[in-house]
Amino acid sequence: MEAPPPPQPAASAEQPAPAAASSQPPEPTQTPSPSPSPSPAPDPAQPPPVSAPPPPSAAPSAAQNPPQLQPQSLPPSQSQPPPPQQQSQPQQPIQQPRPPLVRNRPPAPFPHFSNHLPSSAPPSSSASASASSAAPAPSPSPSAASQRGGLAIGVPAHSSHLPRAQQPVATYSSIGASPAFNQPFTPLPRMTEQSSAANAQVRQPIQGIQNIGMIGSLSTTTQIRPGGVTGPPQQRLVQPTSRAASPSTNQTLGSQKFPNSGLIRGPSMVSSGSISSVPQQSLVSSQGKQMPASSSSFRPQAKPNVLQQRPHSLQQTQQPPSAASHQQQIPTSQQQQQQKQQQFQMQLQQQQQQPQFHQQHSSPRQTQEYYNQQNLQLRNQPQLLQQQPARPLGPATTKPNPPTLVHTNVAQPAVTHPVVGTDAAESGDHILGKRSLRELVSQIDPSEKLDSEVEDVLVEIAEDFVESVATFACSLAKHRKSTTLEAKDILLHVERNWNMMLPGYGGDEIKCYKKQFTNDIHKERLAVIKKSMAATGDTANPKNASGGPAAASSKSHAQKAPPIGSPKA
Amino acid sequence: MHNSASAGPPAKPRVGSSQVSEASLKRKRGVFQKDLQHMMYGFGDDPNPLPETVSLVEDIVVEYITDMVHKAQNIASKRGRLLTEDFLYLVRKDPPKLHRCTELLSMHEELKLARKAFDVNEETLATAD
Repeated sequence: MEAPPPPQPAASAEQPAPAAASSQPPEPTQTPSPSPSPSPAPDPAQPPPVSAPPPPSAAPSAAQNPPQLQPQSLPPSQSQPPPPQQQSQPQQPIQQPRPPLVRNRPPAPFPHFSNHLPSSAPPSSSASASASSAAPAPSPSPSAASQRGGLAIGVPAHSSHLPRAQQPVATYSSIGASPAFNQPFTPLPRMTEQSSAANAQVRQPIQGIQNIGMIGSLSTTTQIRPGGVTGPPQQRLVQPTSRAASPSTNQTLGSQKFPNSGLIRGPSMVSSGSISSVPQQSLVSSQGKQMPASSSSFRPQAKPNVLQQRPHSLQQTQQPPSAASHQQQIPTSQQQQQQKQQQFQMQLQQQQQQPQFHQQHSSPRQTQEYYNQQNLQLRNQPQLLQQQPARPLGPATTKPNPPTLVHTNVAQPAVTHPVVGTDAAESGDHILGKRSLRELVSQIDPSEKLDSEVEDVLVEIAEDFVESVATFACSLAKHRKSTTLEAKDILLHVERNWNMMLPGYGGDEIKCYKKQFTNDIHKERLAVIKKSMAATGDTANPKNASGGPAAASSKSHAQKAPPIGSPKA
Repeated sequence: MHNSASAGPPAKPRVGSSQVSEASLKRKRGVFQKDLQHMMYGFGDDPNPLPETVSLVEDIVVEYITDMVHKAQNIASKRGRLLTEDFLYLVRKDPPKLHRCTELLSMHEELKLARKAFDVNEETLATAD
């Protein structure tokens, strides 16, 4: 119940948030927020209209709001509990439950959040009478949340709402009242301190939206963090990640890496959240078992954190120095970013990866995973989309492959399985492996040897060829009004555009001959020329043997016009 | 003479047939199967080659003939009807093929003359008798 109302007001609040000064207390932010979206304020039962405006603005505002909202929400919450509540009640009774959640800002799916909120709402609802209003809100808020979660797993919207929603005090009161939130709230003091720092760091990456491909890393880290996730359920996605990292590390792993990793993760989580709001929800559901009901709301947020931190935790165990994990974390985010760009930068990546593969022991697995991902991206874009949601689930099932490579190797594909092999085996995932390439060359010339660069280029050419042919063949199949790619599509394209005859796959189809289209006028002229040539030939042969051809041609040309006018026999 | 250059293509749909569309959709398989088996054996293959191999070679042959006829038709349409010279023109750049074609055509002419002479002889013998 509390969750739905808070998301809506938060969404609306987000819009004005960027406009509002960062230092403004929640009250002022609230007033502007309700104004843009009057629907939620007067009618908690009208969440749909509210959700509509917030989602579009949620993305841009979410990134900006969270950093601004948290510092604002924390201090004002303590000093202005009653006024926000009063305002919220008449304007947005739904928002009252929000304040308790503001603190913990889990970036997570609103449904979970909303489910969790009602449980915690009762204690906080005492402060505000929005409990009743919150009831109708739950349904719309999850939808709104999911809509807003596009960019940041929905949490920023929450966070933005809560501070504006005005009841920072209510949060604290609810904190004490609801044991469920105990864990989340404990880290609050730390988070408030770090929030400003984290926000500053997180903002830029979030706005850049370059970490779209970071879902994979997020998934890996989320699993590690059951404790950390539960901590700050209501906090913003970005901040909670950093926060979750810090408290979780202190609590669970006790390593200092996570705060750094959390900061780094924040942006990635935000981006990943935007991409996979749905998968996050799935993650949340999967992690629900791990976390207690109170922390269920944090799941969406926690997952990315856990996923991200998981490889790091593994790395930490393997590599005590935190600096190493640090570097690894950075590459992970970079790798994720590059995953998105793989299709455009395949060449660069391949070249970079190959020299790196030999350098590191874990490279074979990573490269293979990278190749798997590349292949999946190459061959099937829909598969790629499926991959992304699957990646968050990957860590739950697999393997610890810490991204040791600094370059764009993706070390955490969820779907791929670790196959240790030489570079030939890795390239086997590609269309043309190095080994098969060498075999082909040996068929041409047994003593021929290719340079590594040449092999790379040939592999790349092969991949591009297959991709282009498959793409065009699919468009041909589509033109054929068929959903199945058949051999004749590929045959037609390759035969027409590549001038390659492939016997044996033609089936029972006969090539139709298109008779050359000739104009009637053209035929007439040709007939006239023939006649004139024949006539001149008969007459000119006995007379002009040497100049026959020239005379005939000239006469034929000269006679071309007259015959048209006066037909010659 | 016209048949020497192009081994009659029974696979092609009969022009003028009402079932041209149906015939064009399906191409008869195994049109040259028996002859091709012997030819493949003559070129070094097993006396009984695999059916898949024979069908593949037949696909290659049919595709080659089809392509040649289409090109010849394009050339001959300017002149009128299709002649043997059109096919010779198409293989002009391939000396072995061109020589083989001309050899086959000349042999065909000789055989025709021989048959004619044989018939004449038969007649003279018959008349003589």
